[in-house]
Amino acid sequence: MDYEIPTDRRYAESHEWVLATDEEGVLRVGITDFAQDELGDIVFAELPREGETFDRGDQFAVVESIKAVSDIYLPVSGTIEAVNDAVTDRPELINEDPHGDGWLVEISTDEDVEDVDSLLTAAEYEDQI
Amino acid sequence: MNQTHPTRETDLSFDESDAAQAESGSPFTPHDAEDVTEMLAAIGADDVEELFDVPEPVRYDGSFGIEGRSERAVRRRLDRTLDANADVVEFLGRGHYSHYVPSVVDSLSLRSEFITSYTQYQPEVSQGFLQVLFEFQSLVTELTGMDVANCSMYDAATALGEAATLADRVRAADGSTILVPDYLRAERRAVLENYADGPGLEIREFPTANGMVDPDALESALGEDVLLVYVENPTTDGVIEEHLDEIGSILEDRETLFCLGSDLLALSLLQNPADVGADVVVGNAGVLGLPNVYGMGIGLFACREEFLRQVPGRLVGASEDADGDRTYTLTLQTREQHIRRERATSNICSNQAWVALRTAIHAAYLGPEGLTALADRCTRLPARLAAELDAIPGVSAPANDAYHFREFTAEIDGDAEAVVSELADRGFAVHRRGDDAIQVCVTETNEEHAAELLETVREVMA
Amino acid sequence: MQRHRQAKWDETESDGHEPLLAEKDLTRHEPSDTYLPDDLTRDGVELPSISEPELVRHYTRLSQMNYGIDSGPYPLGSCTMKYNPKFTEDIAGQPAAAVHPDRDPELAQGTLQVYHELQDYLSRIGGMSAVTLQPPAGAAGELTGILVAKAYHEHNDEGDQREEILVPASAHGTNFASAAMAGYDIVELPADDDGRVDLDALSEAVGDSTAALMLTNPNTLGLFERDIEEIATIVHDAGGLLYYDGANLNALLGRARPGDMGFDVMHFNVHKTFATPHGGGGPGAGPIGVREGLEKFLPSPQVRVDGDEYTLVEPAESIGKVHGSMGNWLVLLKTHAYISRLGDEGLVDTSAKAVLNANYLAERIDLEVPFGPFHHEFVASAGETDAADFAKAMLDNGVHPPTTKWPEIVDEALMTEPTEAESKRSLERLAAAFNAVSEADDDAIAAAPRMTAAKRIDQTTAARDPKLSWQQLSD
Repeated sequence: MDYEIPTDRRYAESHEWVLATDEEGVLRVGITDFAQDELGDIVFAELPREGETFDRGDQFAVVESIKAVSDIYLPVSGTIEAVNDAVTDRPELINEDPHGDGWLVEISTDEDVEDVDSLLTAAEYEDQI
Repeated sequence: MNQTHPTRETDLSFDESDAAQAESGSPFTPHDAEDVTEMLAAIGADDVEELFDVPEPVRYDGSFGIEGRSERAVRRRLDRTLDANADVVEFLGRGHYSHYVPSVVDSLSLRSEFITSYTQYQPEVSQGFLQVLFEFQSLVTELTGMDVANCSMYDAATALGEAATLADRVRAADGSTILVPDYLRAERRAVLENYADGPGLEIREFPTANGMVDPDALESALGEDVLLVYVENPTTDGVIEEHLDEIGSILEDRETLFCLGSDLLALSLLQNPADVGADVVVGNAGVLGLPNVYGMGIGLFACREEFLRQVPGRLVGASEDADGDRTYTLTLQTREQHIRRERATSNICSNQAWVALRTAIHAAYLGPEGLTALADRCTRLPARLAAELDAIPGVSAPANDAYHFREFTAEIDGDAEAVVSELADRGFAVHRRGDDAIQVCVTETNEEHAAELLETVREVMA
Repeated sequence: MQRHRQAKWDETESDGHEPLLAEKDLTRHEPSDTYLPDDLTRDGVELPSISEPELVRHYTRLSQMNYGIDSGPYPLGSCTMKYNPKFTEDIAGQPAAAVHPDRDPELAQGTLQVYHELQDYLSRIGGMSAVTLQPPAGAAGELTGILVAKAYHEHNDEGDQREEILVPASAHGTNFASAAMAGYDIVELPADDDGRVDLDALSEAVGDSTAALMLTNPNTLGLFERDIEEIATIVHDAGGLLYYDGANLNALLGRARPGDMGFDVMHFNVHKTFATPHGGGGPGAGPIGVREGLEKFLPSPQVRVDGDEYTLVEPAESIGKVHGSMGNWLVLLKTHAYISRLGDEGLVDTSAKAVLNANYLAERIDLEVPFGPFHHEFVASAGETDAADFAKAMLDNGVHPPTTKWPEIVDEALMTEPTEAESKRSLERLAAAFNAVSEADDDAIAAAPRMTAAKRIDQTTAARDPKLSWQQLSD
């Protein structure tokens, strides 16, 4: 099975991705193609509120399929800057475009993605799955 | 000719024991000896006992000392046992009501395809019951005015408990207080306490006046720590609440849920919970579909759309099948224990589905006009009976200056315990309320005995 | 092989389904001339207005689109869907059973006698010291039992310290949810290689913070926990209690009693073990039993007998109430009738045939059935086929499929419990239904079911865009 694993971002072992945005110190977070495929048809996404803060490794969202509930963890510490309301309305976006329109949140963080040891490159993530 | 039926003495004894005609083994296992032999051979065992992988120290020899009986003997015995329930006319209510249940309810609900089915885990083969539950949810939705209703809780008390834990999950209020009126039945409160125990909620009481909410007293009892306020309409004292709009206004801009307790019949006539700002409606749906069967009922649970993902219990939704036809299925199951386990909205699994079927049939039988007419009758009957009781020296009824639904309390001069006991001896059951009050419930099922009750009260009070 | 073409009523005018009552005739009624003033009444209600003959036809048609245990085998694992004897309905339907819960006990002696006798029957069957009949379902029984355990630890001033409940990974979801509702943290125990409790993991997990271990025995794989005595010792030595989930008690009736195995608290699922009809989802009843010393924590009231008078008593340190009255009375009455009908011999025969049937069926089906030896149920694997798809294909063969995809310890699990009430012939038809699907090609399985009232249902749309009432259909 071939999964899309864009090389422009970093990955967590728990199948989230983080991507730098145009804005300094703001990262976009979502789940990987592999993760959405494992979950099957996603029917509901419970996202945090803007302004909430989380530590690295905290659960910040829940994604549900018909028969399973998955916790989504934040790969870096930060504060929720934006929430993808499109996903709340149409959770199937996560299935259709997990690395694009199906993103979950944007966070502001002091952490530098390059320095977080636990984050994997696309090649390393591909090896993992 | 008269020699063809020789008399044999042993055939003529009468066995009067209850154990007559009991079979050996279970009458509900279809195997004969040959079946068992062949099955054991296929398994590769010599004896059924071999199949039990139970260590010797914990084996049991099966002697419970329970004697098996024939079907007829069991029926006779239980008939006789239940006959020990006194033959009294019940004027009892307080949350448990008797309305005439039409024959179609038994006839249809006992169809074996309904009553012998399990939860609809295979919806393709369970469309009938799923549609029933969908129609039940729709009925509750219409009568409560709420956006969503589930397909049942156990009873009114556990539904209230579930409402409290829902408030704890959906409200960010600092505290953990559930505010209940002082008229709340002790039994309902006791159940609520147990649901509140796990999440660490505190139950606090607020004072009421004249059997209904005193908005000022409620407002001063409120604080930032209150998650939910519970109010009944009608109350289990029979009082129709007159301040619902004010209560709704008081709670409107707060982080406090407004939970209204009622029943499906009363809801067909009394103020629509949605119109007064209720967030959650709980109560007893079994007033339709079941007579008084020792408190067995069905809890109703309905709420606003925003709490949908936090609703306890099962939900049936509409969908389509592969042919594009409309179908029904259990849905949003990720809320439930079999998927979400310790993070489920509730532990409820088996609910009161079959009672929901009966309730739906009864409501459909009455229709909108019949429901409303019966509910209207439930406001006239207690008014009339109270007025006539009030005319009896030593009785002041109703005790609360209010409109009533089905029932009311009455103050009496003298010892309420003695009066209630005397009435029971003469064939009438009423509630005792403290030392000097009684409570009387009247519906279409006992109104024909109202005149006798009045006459008996007159005698007892004299 | 058996086949089944389920009835389907529909109308071309209404998207191919039996119309809802509201679609047949929805009437808005606005009450006038009410006794109450307008400000205390609602504007009106909009509900179906249907004549009695139409009503009867509607529900009769719906019943024909529903499969019950009277239709055919219903081997849902851990659900014990056995034959429901009809005479119990006649007993429950008699007028003398319909009494108000607030009657003075003197006026309800018959009902209280039934309660008392059933408390006694269940105490004997479970090997328990006392029983309450109040919990209205198995899950409510679990919550009640855990609250009793909590009261016990609080009584010993260990309430704050003992904040964990141990639950095996293969346990019913309700165990986790009930313990959490009572405020406990859950510690999940892994199974060992032969599908039973891993004693090392248990020893590792128990300690000063353990309130209880919840255990199903036989477990959901149908395996007896042979080390039960050692398990009890480990838990008790740590100061915890042992809780018995009665879902699978049908396997052990008369063969072993939870009380003798060292369990302190247990619940019974009467719609499973004692054949009360499940009614499409309930009502059930979940009585709990407790060992000596825990009676004082039981819910209030308990029924006692004093001479020949039955009375209601509040246990000394009662946890309070878990139901507004005394539980699902009619279900309890049917339970009493069933146990009285069977007696010792019938109860023992029940477990014998339940275990015989499960083993025979396991032998007859051509799927991998790991673990063993089995009691009342087994878990087969659908192998390369998705278990949910496998189940859909079985529907066309006149049987209800087993529980699917659980317990997860078996890949593509088909958890199968035929019960004692299936004949050898019926088991062979059931085995044929399994075997036919195991030989079917993927396309045929994907196209199933074809002969049920509904074809394969789109669950995803139902969850993404919930339509939960006729009002929402038109949104």
